[in-house]
Amino acid sequence: MEGKFIIIIAVALFFIALVQLMKIYDLAAKVRGAKSQEKMTRGENMLMANLMLVFMVVFFGFIIWLIAKYGANAGLYKAASEHGQELDDLLMINWYIILPVFFITNSLLFIFSWKYYHREERKALYYPHNNKLELIWTVLPAIALAIIIVFGIRTWNGIMYNKEEGQVIEVYAYQFGWLVRYAGADNELGEANYKLVSSTNPLGVITDQSIQDTYNEIDTKVSGIDSELKENRNSNGDLLMPKSKADKKLDELERLKRRKYRIEAAIDKREANKTAYASSDDDIVVQELHLVKGQPYTFIFRSKDVIHCPWLPHFRAQINSVPGMETSFKLTPTITTEEMRNMPEVQEHYKNINEIHNERKRRIGEEEEKVLFDYVLLCNKICGAGHSNMQIKVVVETQEEFENWIENNGDKKRLTFSGQEVNWSETKEQASL
Amino acid sequence: MAHDHHHHKESFITKYIFSQDHKMIGKQYLLTAIFMGAIGITLSALFRMKLGWPDTQFSILESILGSDAAPDGMLDSNWYLGLVTLHGTIMVFFVLTGGLSGTFSNLLIPLQVGARDMASGLLNMIAYWLFFISSVLMAASLFIETGPAMAGWTVYPPLSVLEEFQPGSGLGMTLWLLSMTVFIASSLLGGINYIVTILNLRTKGMSMTRLPLTIWAFFITAILGVLSFPVLLSAAVLLLMDRGFGTSFYMSDIVTSSGALDATGGSPILYEHLFWFLGHPEVYIILLPALGMTSEIISTCSRKPIFGYRAMIGSMLAIGFLSFIVWGHHMFLTGMNPFLGGVFTFTTLLIAIPSAVKAFNYITTIWKGNVMLTPAMLFCIGSVSTFISGGVTGIILADSALDISQHDTYFVVGHFHIVMGMTAILGMFAGIYHWFPKMYGKSMNKRMGMVHFWITIVTGYGVFLPMHFLGEGGLPRRYYENTNFPMFDHFLDLNIMISIFATIGVLAQVIFFFNFFYSIFRGPKASLNPWNANTLEWTTPIEHVHGNWIGEIPTVHRWPYDYSKPGKEQDFVPQTVPLDDNEEEH
Repeated sequence: MEGKFIIIIAVALFFIALVQLMKIYDLAAKVRGAKSQEKMTRGENMLMANLMLVFMVVFFGFIIWLIAKYGANAGLYKAASEHGQELDDLLMINWYIILPVFFITNSLLFIFSWKYYHREERKALYYPHNNKLELIWTVLPAIALAIIIVFGIRTWNGIMYNKEEGQVIEVYAYQFGWLVRYAGADNELGEANYKLVSSTNPLGVITDQSIQDTYNEIDTKVSGIDSELKENRNSNGDLLMPKSKADKKLDELERLKRRKYRIEAAIDKREANKTAYASSDDDIVVQELHLVKGQPYTFIFRSKDVIHCPWLPHFRAQINSVPGMETSFKLTPTITTEEMRNMPEVQEHYKNINEIHNERKRRIGEEEEKVLFDYVLLCNKICGAGHSNMQIKVVVETQEEFENWIENNGDKKRLTFSGQEVNWSETKEQASL
Repeated sequence: MAHDHHHHKESFITKYIFSQDHKMIGKQYLLTAIFMGAIGITLSALFRMKLGWPDTQFSILESILGSDAAPDGMLDSNWYLGLVTLHGTIMVFFVLTGGLSGTFSNLLIPLQVGARDMASGLLNMIAYWLFFISSVLMAASLFIETGPAMAGWTVYPPLSVLEEFQPGSGLGMTLWLLSMTVFIASSLLGGINYIVTILNLRTKGMSMTRLPLTIWAFFITAILGVLSFPVLLSAAVLLLMDRGFGTSFYMSDIVTSSGALDATGGSPILYEHLFWFLGHPEVYIILLPALGMTSEIISTCSRKPIFGYRAMIGSMLAIGFLSFIVWGHHMFLTGMNPFLGGVFTFTTLLIAIPSAVKAFNYITTIWKGNVMLTPAMLFCIGSVSTFISGGVTGIILADSALDISQHDTYFVVGHFHIVMGMTAILGMFAGIYHWFPKMYGKSMNKRMGMVHFWITIVTGYGVFLPMHFLGEGGLPRRYYENTNFPMFDHFLDLNIMISIFATIGVLAQVIFFFNFFYSIFRGPKASLNPWNANTLEWTTPIEHVHGNWIGEIPTVHRWPYDYSKPGKEQDFVPQTVPLDDNEEEH
C-alpha cells in the first residue's frame, strides 16, 4: 500500500515537474522571440534529415546483425522431411526477391527525406504524374509476384496432393496433450466415435468392450443420480434439494439417457460394418511419436475439445486439429534423431543451449541437466492455460529400432484393443484424463 | 443548413457531451481512443514482462492486475491469454478502427468536402455513444474475477464457448460479445454517415476527382466497414446462441470432462470463415485511413503534389476490392480444400501490386521535394517505411506453401504488427500532430513531437523485427512461457531485448500524452493555415463554429495538390483559388 502511494506521488511530481519545465521552455522561447511551434527552423529540418540517415544505417545494421546471429532458420536447421527441403528452398527464393526490394525502397525513402529537406531557397519540382513510370512499377511487381505465385502454388500442390499411401498414424489432441495411435499391421485405424470417449477409452475407439464399458459407465452415473434424487425426496415425493440443483441433476439425467440412446443407434451400424471396427484390434495407442527414417507417413488428426494445431517445426509440417472433423498431412522423415544430434551445427548450437538452459536452472534453483536435441510436436493454436506446454517427443529412428520399441514397449505407456493385452493404468495417469 | 447557428447559446451538455457537431464528436472519439490505447499498450508491456523475464516476480503486476491475475507477482497463464486477447481487441477495434476512422473521418470529411456537418448529426452522436458504451464494456471485462475473454482476439470457438475450457469464456466472453455487438452497430452508423456525406454534401466544384486522398481513403474504408462488419455481427450472434441457447452452429463432436456434449453438425471452421470475412477487410479498414492521411501530409510537407493522384485512388479501390476475396489466407491450415488454398494465395499476392504502387508513389512524392520535417511528416515517413517493411514479409505469409512453416509463429506477430499496427499507429500520430491545430486551435510542441517520433520508431522496429527470427525458429505465438522447450532457450536474450524495447516504447508514449493534454490547455495559439495547405479545412475559423464556415461555403476550383506549381508566387494554391485563364488543372 505504501509502495503504491509512493508511486502515485512520484508520478504526480514527475508531471508537475514536466509542466513547469514546459512553462520555462515556452517563456524562454518567447524571450528569444523564436517562431511558433508550427514552423520548422532550418536547423531543426537539417537535424531531422541527418537523423533519417543515421536511422537508416542503424536500422539496416540491426537487421544484418539479426540475420548474422540468428540466421535464416534460427535454430531449426536443415529440414528433416522430404517436402520440408522444398519449402526451405522456396523460402530462400522468396527472400532473394524480397530483401533487395526491402533494402532499396527503404533506402530511397530515407535518402530522399534526408537529401530534400526544406530550405527556403529551394523549390520543389512540380511533378504530379508520369504514366510511364507508374506503368513500370505496376508491371515489375506483377512479374516478380507471378514468379512467386507460380513457385508457391506448385510447391503447395505437391505437398497437399501427395498421393503416396503412407503408414497411417492418428494424432489425437486434447487439453493439454497428445495421444498417438498406430494403425498396426493392417495399416487401417479402427473407427472411433466421440460418444465413446471415456477414461478407459480416451480416443473413443469402437469395440464391443468399449461400448459395454461406456454403457456401464453411463448406467453407474444414472443410478447414482437416481438414488441421490430418491434419497432427497420426502414421503410426499417432493424434492428436498434447491430447485436449481434438482433441475441440474434432472438435466444431467436426461443427457446421459440421450447419450446412451445415441450409442445404441451406433450399435446397429456395428453389425452392418464389422470390418471397419475390427481393424482396431491391432491398433496401439502410445504417448511418444516414433517414426522410421525414409518411411512415408499419413497423419490423421482429431481433437477432443477445442481447436489445436499440431506443429512439427523440424519437419516443416503443420495443420489444425479441429473437433468434428479429420484433417491429414503426409510427410516422410529423412534424418534420424541420432543423425541430427551428430550434425556439427546442432552440436555447436546445443552447447550454447545447454549453457543458457543450465544458467537459468541455477538461477531458479532447479537441478542442472544435459539437454540433447530432440524432435518435438507442439501445439500452435491457442487452446487454453496449458497451451505453452502441450508437447510430445518425436523420435526418428531406423526400422529395427522402431520395431524394437513398438514390440517391447518398455515404458508400458500403451493401450491395445485386442482383449487381454490392455495395460492402461499408467497411461491413464500419464494422460491425466 | 442552419445559418443562424451562432444565435443559439449552447449548454455545456449539448456542446461537450451530447454534441451533434462533427468536430466535437471527432475529438470525443480521439479522447476515447487515447484512453483505450493507453490501456491496450499498457497490457502489452505487462505481458511482455512475463516473456522477457519468465522467472521473475514483479510486485507491480500484482498491484496493477490484482492477486487473481498475478499471484505473488507471477502472471497467471489464463490471465496472460486474457491480456493478449484484450490487447489485440482494443488495439484493432477500439484504437485503430473506432479511434482512427472515428476521429479523422468525423473531423475531416465535412471540413474537406465543404459541408456544414455530417449528413446526420444525430446518427453521428449515437454512433459515438455506442462506441463509448462498447469501450466501457470491453474495459470493464478486465475487472471481473474470472478475467476477460481469453481465446485470442479472434475468439475461435469451441474455446470461447465453454467456461470449462478456460475461465475467460464465461462472463468475460459474454462482455466481449456484447461490447463487439454494440461496437459494430456504432461503426455501421458511422460508416453510412461517412458515405452519404461524401457522396451528397460536397461543395460546389468539389468533384470526386478533386477530393483529397484522405477523403477517398475514408470513403473506401467506410464502404469496406459497411459491407463486412455485418458478417462479424452474424458470427457474434451465432456464437452468443451457441453459448447461451444450446445451438450448435460451431460445435460438433466435443467431449468435456463430464462426457460427450450433445452438439453435432456444426463446425468451428464456419466461424473462422465468418470472422475472417470481416477480419481481412478489417486490416484495410485500419490501414487505408492512415495511408490516406499520410498521402495528404506527405504532399503538403514535401511542398509537392502527390505523385500519381489517380493511381493512388485506383490502388486504394483495388486494395478495397481485393480485400474481400483473400480471407482464406488466414485459414490455409484449417484443412480446407487445397485448391482453395491456391486461389487465396493468388488473390492475396495480387494485393501486393497496388500496395507497391502506393509505396513507390510516396517515395516519388518526396523525391525532389522541399520536405518540411515536421513531427507529422516524420511519422508519415515512418509509416511508409513500416508499410514497406511489413508488406514484404506479407508476401511470404501469403504463400500457402510457406504458411505451413510460418503459420501462427512469431513471424506472423512481427509481420502484422509492423504492417498494420505500426503503419496505422504512426499514421494516426501523424494525423494528430498535423490536424491538432484544427482540432483545438492550439499547436503541439514540436520538439516533444520529434523526440516522440524517434523513440517510437526505434523501439517499434526494435520490438517487431526480432520477432521474425523467433518465428523462423518455430516459436509459436500466444505462449505463456517458452521455457518448456529447450530448443527455444537460445531466444531468451532476444526476448529480453524485445521486452526492454517494448517497455521503453510504451513509456515514451507518456511524452505524447503529456504533449497532447498540455497543448490543449496551454499550447500556443495556432495560426489559420499553419502548414500552408491547400485543403478546405484550413479556410475555416480557428475558433470552432457550428456549421464550420461563418459565411458561404467556399467553392472549389482545383485539386488539392497544387504545391510549388510553376508560375505561382507562393508554393501552394488553395483549392478555393480559381484557375487562371489559361491554367491547366494538373
